[in-house]
Amino acid sequence: MSGQNTALLARIGFVLALCLLLAISSSAFLTTNNLLNVLRQASLVFLIASGLTLVILTAGIDLSVGANVGLSACLCAVVLKASGSILLAVVAGLSCGAVIGLANSLFIVLLAIPPFIATYGMLWIVNGITYKLMSGTTIEGFPPGFRFIGSGYWLGIPVPIYLMLGFFAAGALFARHTRHGRELFAIGANPVAARLSGIPVRARLILVYTVCGAMAGLAGLVYLARLNSAEADIGDPMLLPAVAAVLVGGTSLFGGLGGLSGTLIGAVIVTLVLNGMNLMSVSTNWQPMITSIILLGAVLTDTLVRRHAEGAAK
Amino acid sequence: MRKFNVKYLAKRAVSFPSTASRIVASPRGEDGRGGPICPHVKCYEEPPVHESGWFTGALSVSFAAVLLLASIPAAQADGEKIAMFTKNQINPYFQSMRLGADAGAKEMNASVIHYVPNKPDNIAEQLAEVEDVVTKKPNAVVFIPVDSKALVVGMEKLTGAGIPVVNLLDRTKGSASTFVGVSDIDLGIDTARVLFKKLNGKGNVIFLEGVKGALSTQERLTGFKKALEEFPGIKLLASQTANAQRLMALQVMENLLQAHPQVDGVLAATDSMAMGAIEALDGANRKALVAAVNGTKEAVDAIKAGKLLATGDSSPFMQGCVAAMAAVRAARKLPLPKEIIFPIKIITAADVKAVEENVGKCPKWETMVKN
Repeated sequence: MSGQNTALLARIGFVLALCLLLAISSSAFLTTNNLLNVLRQASLVFLIASGLTLVILTAGIDLSVGANVGLSACLCAVVLKASGSILLAVVAGLSCGAVIGLANSLFIVLLAIPPFIATYGMLWIVNGITYKLMSGTTIEGFPPGFRFIGSGYWLGIPVPIYLMLGFFAAGALFARHTRHGRELFAIGANPVAARLSGIPVRARLILVYTVCGAMAGLAGLVYLARLNSAEADIGDPMLLPAVAAVLVGGTSLFGGLGGLSGTLIGAVIVTLVLNGMNLMSVSTNWQPMITSIILLGAVLTDTLVRRHAEGAAK
Repeated sequence: MRKFNVKYLAKRAVSFPSTASRIVASPRGEDGRGGPICPHVKCYEEPPVHESGWFTGALSVSFAAVLLLASIPAAQADGEKIAMFTKNQINPYFQSMRLGADAGAKEMNASVIHYVPNKPDNIAEQLAEVEDVVTKKPNAVVFIPVDSKALVVGMEKLTGAGIPVVNLLDRTKGSASTFVGVSDIDLGIDTARVLFKKLNGKGNVIFLEGVKGALSTQERLTGFKKALEEFPGIKLLASQTANAQRLMALQVMENLLQAHPQVDGVLAATDSMAMGAIEALDGANRKALVAAVNGTKEAVDAIKAGKLLATGDSSPFMQGCVAAMAAVRAARKLPLPKEIIFPIKIITAADVKAVEENVGKCPKWETMVKN
């Protein structure tokens, strides 16, 4: 565990260094508004990435989260417009997300399809349904009560930030301090050993993918409430930042290693990079390249520090 | 007569399941939402125009196909099938175009079959669809390439097979019968001028760019920059891309608002980005005039609500109408001009009423085109 703690410290150091660099190069960076701004943008990434972290801990992957965000948001918008009931729309959006996650897990557990394939297939199934549902139209204009979850403030702090911190606390507690949570690490590290030692692997996988789907559904609601409009392709650009946040956060794609604190920092790093480039008016031609270099840099720092710490432990 | 053999086409469609989703203009339900995505087989069972029935049934499928292809004559008077290619199923812009084409074709007693890549703007998928269409030989094609350079091959395949092609929106090299489109540079210039004049020629502005490599949004940006040169009092604070996406526009705008305490105007290359920018301004309690290009319904609503200053109307519906009419004319060997460039109109609060009255109406060919 000491290796992991060192790696976590290294990432926090990386964030601080990034902040320092941004503070020096742009006077607008270290303002309360901008920092809240960064956290609010990071919260959307984190909501998706948190569920994804649990999935990746079990050595799985969910490629359908972006599409899930899109369908959940669009379905929520349709229900909200048709019924006018915020409660009904929220329930529709969240259950849509959870059902997609559940379907993923059933493919993986019952039909033994590898997670990568099952969720990639699901991505297109979900996209297809979304395209059909929206048929090239946009739904816009939602009641203020609904918009509160995305664009509201409480005590001067944007609501999505509370959601992010709340789910971070809950998720971290679950993963580290409950038996169910710790079993996920065991499943990821060695599924056969986990099964032989009496962990109900299938039930845990179903739980994890369903939670991941529901979190994507929640992100869809927050997204909808922030943007005040739904379009069929809104989820597409969300997959990559979410996966990047998890990996930059140090959760291993091979399972059994990582956690939500890393993902939180990962989400902040991913967001900071975009924010910083906008503040410094970096030419848009350079932005994808710079983003990738910084993300690779973060992962590299992490790997090196971890290897060093493990070497020292031996 | 020369109706496509339903069985043959259905079989072909089934044997190439992965290439495309076909959208067919809903012939019965004119509900304003246009073509549902239909299962392959059903697409080709759509309204049997002039069914003569003499070779349905008994003949073997492949034999019928050979007969059919051999028997397609050069010109027809009625009931033509037009194949239309658009870039994706997502953007309302193309949905308007498809509806326009359906309406335009209907006025001339023809019908439209739509080809749209499942994966938005996917080059390989559109090329596969082109190959399908070449074997099916529709009477004419309305072609919007997902990429104006990469799809030159597609254009060559279509014209090489002797199918008349109307090139719509993004100009592609090749021997198309005609080109239908707008000048995106002029659209950019005129939209920018409306904003700069409203700012009395002075103030700080931000540009939101579209997808790098997409011809139309790139040209609009060129237009913005040209107009900027005419107004020395206008200062460009930043020009950043938001990939024509709402969320990205919202976040980029939020970030830019932090960096720039005084922003007076925003010019977005697409309506969708303008909507994101407006949300960012509202969220930060800041005021700036926003103008964009596309003329979508959402933008017109925003103008009505006083949130958007103007949208440069590239009238996708009208473009669809005229392109489909041109395609039918090409199939009937009627005269066509070399290109049909639409007059530019910038919609502001004063025009909203007129725009809403004309929604869903195709212009008469004679008013749009002087032969």
